[in-house]
Amino acid sequence: MAASETSNGTALRYAFGNVLSFFILLLIGVLAFSIRLFSVIKYESVIHEFDPYFNYRVTQYLTKNGIYDFWNWFDDRTWYPLGRVIGGTVYPGLTLTAGTLYWILNSLNIPLSVETVCVFTAPIFSAFASWATYLLTKEVKGAGAGLTAAVLLAMVPSYISRSVAGSYDNEAVAIFALIFTFFLYIKTLNTGSLFYATLNAIAYFYMVCSWGGYTFIINLIPMHVLLCIVTGRYSSRLYIAYAPLVVLGTLLASLVPVVGFNAVLTSEHFGSFLVFIIIHVVALVYYIKGILSPKMFKVAVTLVLSIGLVVCCAVIAVLVALVASSPTKGWSGRSLSLLDPTYASKYIPIIASVSEHQPPTWPSYFMDINVLAFLVPAGIIACFSPLSDASSFVVLYIVTSVYFSGVMVRLMLVLAPAACIMSGIALSASFDVFTRSIKFQLPGVKGNSQVDAGDTSSEGVVAQNEVAKTDKNEEALKERPSKKNRKKEKEHVEKPSVKAQTKKRLLVLPFEASIIAILLLILLGAFYVVHSVWAAAEAYSAPSIVLTSYSHDGLHVFDDFREAYSWLSHNTEVDDKVASWWDYGYQTTAMANRTVIVDNNTWNNTHIATVGTAMSSPEKAAWEIFDSLDVKYVLVVFGGLVGYPSDDINKFLWMVRIGGGVFPHIKEPDYLRDGQYRIDSQATPTMLNCLMYKLSYYRFVETDGKAFDRVRRTEIGKKHFKLTHFEEVFTTHHWMVRIYKLKPQKNRIRGKAKKSRSKASSTTSTKRGETQRKNPWH
Amino acid sequence: MSPTHSLPLLLLLISLLLISTSTGSSDSDRVSELQSLQSRSKTGVIHLDDHSVSRYLTSTKTPRPYYLLIFFDATQLHDKSELQLKTLHSEFSLLAQSFVANNPDPSPSSPNLFFCDIEFKESQQSFALFGVNALPHIRLVAPHQSPKQSEQMDQGDFSRLAESMADFIQAKTKLNVGPIHRPPFLSTKQVAFIVLATLVWIPFAIKKIVKGETLLHDPKLWLSGSVFIYFFSVSGAMHNIIRKMPMFLADRNDPNKLIFFYQGSGMQLGAEGFAVGFLYTIVGLLLAFVTHLLVKVRNLNVQRFVMIVALFVSFWAVKKVVYLDNWKTGYGIHGFWPSDDWLRYNCVRTRTWRHYDNLYALSAK
Repeated sequence: MAASETSNGTALRYAFGNVLSFFILLLIGVLAFSIRLFSVIKYESVIHEFDPYFNYRVTQYLTKNGIYDFWNWFDDRTWYPLGRVIGGTVYPGLTLTAGTLYWILNSLNIPLSVETVCVFTAPIFSAFASWATYLLTKEVKGAGAGLTAAVLLAMVPSYISRSVAGSYDNEAVAIFALIFTFFLYIKTLNTGSLFYATLNAIAYFYMVCSWGGYTFIINLIPMHVLLCIVTGRYSSRLYIAYAPLVVLGTLLASLVPVVGFNAVLTSEHFGSFLVFIIIHVVALVYYIKGILSPKMFKVAVTLVLSIGLVVCCAVIAVLVALVASSPTKGWSGRSLSLLDPTYASKYIPIIASVSEHQPPTWPSYFMDINVLAFLVPAGIIACFSPLSDASSFVVLYIVTSVYFSGVMVRLMLVLAPAACIMSGIALSASFDVFTRSIKFQLPGVKGNSQVDAGDTSSEGVVAQNEVAKTDKNEEALKERPSKKNRKKEKEHVEKPSVKAQTKKRLLVLPFEASIIAILLLILLGAFYVVHSVWAAAEAYSAPSIVLTSYSHDGLHVFDDFREAYSWLSHNTEVDDKVASWWDYGYQTTAMANRTVIVDNNTWNNTHIATVGTAMSSPEKAAWEIFDSLDVKYVLVVFGGLVGYPSDDINKFLWMVRIGGGVFPHIKEPDYLRDGQYRIDSQATPTMLNCLMYKLSYYRFVETDGKAFDRVRRTEIGKKHFKLTHFEEVFTTHHWMVRIYKLKPQKNRIRGKAKKSRSKASSTTSTKRGETQRKNPWH
Repeated sequence: MSPTHSLPLLLLLISLLLISTSTGSSDSDRVSELQSLQSRSKTGVIHLDDHSVSRYLTSTKTPRPYYLLIFFDATQLHDKSELQLKTLHSEFSLLAQSFVANNPDPSPSSPNLFFCDIEFKESQQSFALFGVNALPHIRLVAPHQSPKQSEQMDQGDFSRLAESMADFIQAKTKLNVGPIHRPPFLSTKQVAFIVLATLVWIPFAIKKIVKGETLLHDPKLWLSGSVFIYFFSVSGAMHNIIRKMPMFLADRNDPNKLIFFYQGSGMQLGAEGFAVGFLYTIVGLLLAFVTHLLVKVRNLNVQRFVMIVALFVSFWAVKKVVYLDNWKTGYGIHGFWPSDDWLRYNCVRTRTWRHYDNLYALSAK
């Protein structure tokens, strides 16, 4: 009677808890979405940075021309004269997602522009990602930990940095796909249901569509399977969780054009196949063990082991031969630089040049995951007590991702969800202990013995409930043996702990200390919130296409990039080719609609090196290189006047390095004075005569009379010079973008040459006068 | 004949030669002598002393038909680790070996290049001759240069060891050094032994795994391993390995003081990283200790005392990290409230640090 009443009560409590969790999740979604809107509120609804502009352009093409044209799209506006097959070289997940969103909204008669949909895709998917985190953590350590992890993920700065409104990049949807794939894997592992296994393969397919980081999944899951096998945790659920994923997942992955046969041919995937073989061998062993008597089994083991070893050796030999036959040992440069951290800096300057690929220092962790860095160890320990299949997976996840993030700052993004899950588990576990200590030792409750008594009775009730519930479950779920297994496991875990508690006493801490601890934890959480909001509002929301700066005389807005791109689109021919360093390639094609030589998809190192060589050569040689590429205009970004530090002069050494990597006559030491990179009067003559220097500082002395560079904080070395092969055609308001035109080739006839030269100089001088008037800067 | 005996004899021979042929010995003689000296040395580095310096450098008429790259060594300073004389010397010999191996018969038209070293104790005059008063010091004497005019190799040119020295040679002499032949990390015999050992070990390992009694089945090992990897990564140790950062620097203004913390977010020192990594880790460990172990302690006073200590330490650690972060990066973390001064932050600087922030610092290095 009493038992049924209490079970009624607990059912009500569970229902109430579920409704409450639902609303909390809803709020978490709202939080995740709205914390990413600072960029829209502070600036405007624009696409940010470089890569998103390319994705935006592809999405536009998709919505205009449909999916089949998109699939077969050959883009001749970039990598001139090579062009680029977009359909076969792009991860289509993000584009298809946004395209679908756009299509749904428009069929519901909500007329949003493609740009708006693109801007808000990332915040929407971060809400999804926090819900996926809830599901994943719930599978590992229960709903409380799940909610905590979800709220932490909703505002983890590292993820915010890649998913603010306008940051329309692959990672925005990929992180959701990553977490959701992990959730489905754990779900399959816990239930052993083939339904979830299939879903898991589909989620993996979505991940493969979205981001190159899918290799992390296809290596992490096999690692976990192997770990489970080695530590003797093999079960049929593990088999169901893994085998369908490899088969279906690989088949689906090879459907994505950019992956294609790489899904079976590159070393990144070999690990999963090896584990696939191993798990079959182990499954066979377990099966034979089940049908044979122990004695027979021993005989069989020796037989199978010897045969298995031979087969394994043969397979490994084949694999090794395959791998060794390829020059990079079958690994892509990026993956190799993860395994051997010093690889990239030695051999691939183009990977080493991007600051996202630099190893982080400790402040990066504090900036990107903030106080979570303190909580993670506690989460790891909580996962070990007790260790289950699911919790061992998240431990493996955090350990691998934290190692990878140590090699490349960029992978901090993969670490962030793991850190949130771990911290959620840790926070939830410690709140559990501290609130329990307070609840059962409130001053109202008298005496310790009574606490114990009350505790035992309440624990007893709980235990009874548990038993009743499992009984019910066993009846209800007879047709699902795997679930029953799981319940049984749970029972095993819980029963001893209940027993221990009733036998000894309630596990509590001192009352006052618990209150202080709770207060401190809340303080820590509050600090996290303050930091995250600050990071979202101040550090990560600038679109980098519009810049602002606040000085004593008010707010300055630098809209030079868009100014330059619109100048290009209005004042040049449609077929003109524009050369710039690769960073600005995507923006030029998307905003100015002009053909570029190189862009941010750095697939052809030689082509990039050609541009780098041109930029580091003297004017005449550069003119010849550019002319051979049909270039009409050269665009350089110059920050010396306003103090914009990521301009071309600061990137110039990388142009030299990348150029010199292919064309050995460009040597880095020629540009360095005693190993130091400088542009003042101590600079080397090679430096002062190279094209980049000239294009950046041409007429710079006319601004303030001294030619003081505000980024390098020095006066430049060579102030007065003329351009012989280039002419300035446009310089933006703050001089941040400067566009030059290649002068036409001189006539070879001697008499005319003189005339034309004088003419050319006169035209340039008038032009200069015009541009001076255009630029009211002095 | 043992090498210790051969050296004085050699010197005697050389000096005899010097006397007998007076200054009349031709350039080709010198080259062949140097070549024979080079071939006699195990590493291809010729050991010079005051006599031979005068024979091959000062008493010759310029232009000489050879370059000399001279490493200035001092045995008594070998134990000073910050000078790295030993590593540099071995790199130098490696360079010499590779050069000799890659250029077995030099073309007669272009000048030769010989690698030499001089020891301070034996040849103090030569040190004075070159005006060398600080080590490590490497000098390249071109055919037309006198010792004083010769070019010194910069600190930056041996920063990347043999590879950058090769670049220096290539830039100054137009001679191609070619790839550096480093001895493999493990010799073939060792590799064979390791392969054999693993093959023997595999069946035993499988047997143990099947029985379930390896170390792998001990969760404590896994636990400490994962916490260690966490500590290792958040302390930025990978950064220190890739960038080869030292544990600490000596203060430029005051040589007796050491700098453990580097201001500026692009770089960190080794000790600094480990200190902060420790602070990162200790808080979580204490929290886990309190919530998982301390609850099982029966004595209330012990619980109370340990908890207060743990809370105090955690609070201090968090505060310290926040303080250090503010000091190092200059990004003051403060609350955000929409008002006029929310624009005060220099947005030009904010986003860009993710892109090319490190570059200027890198190139300046």
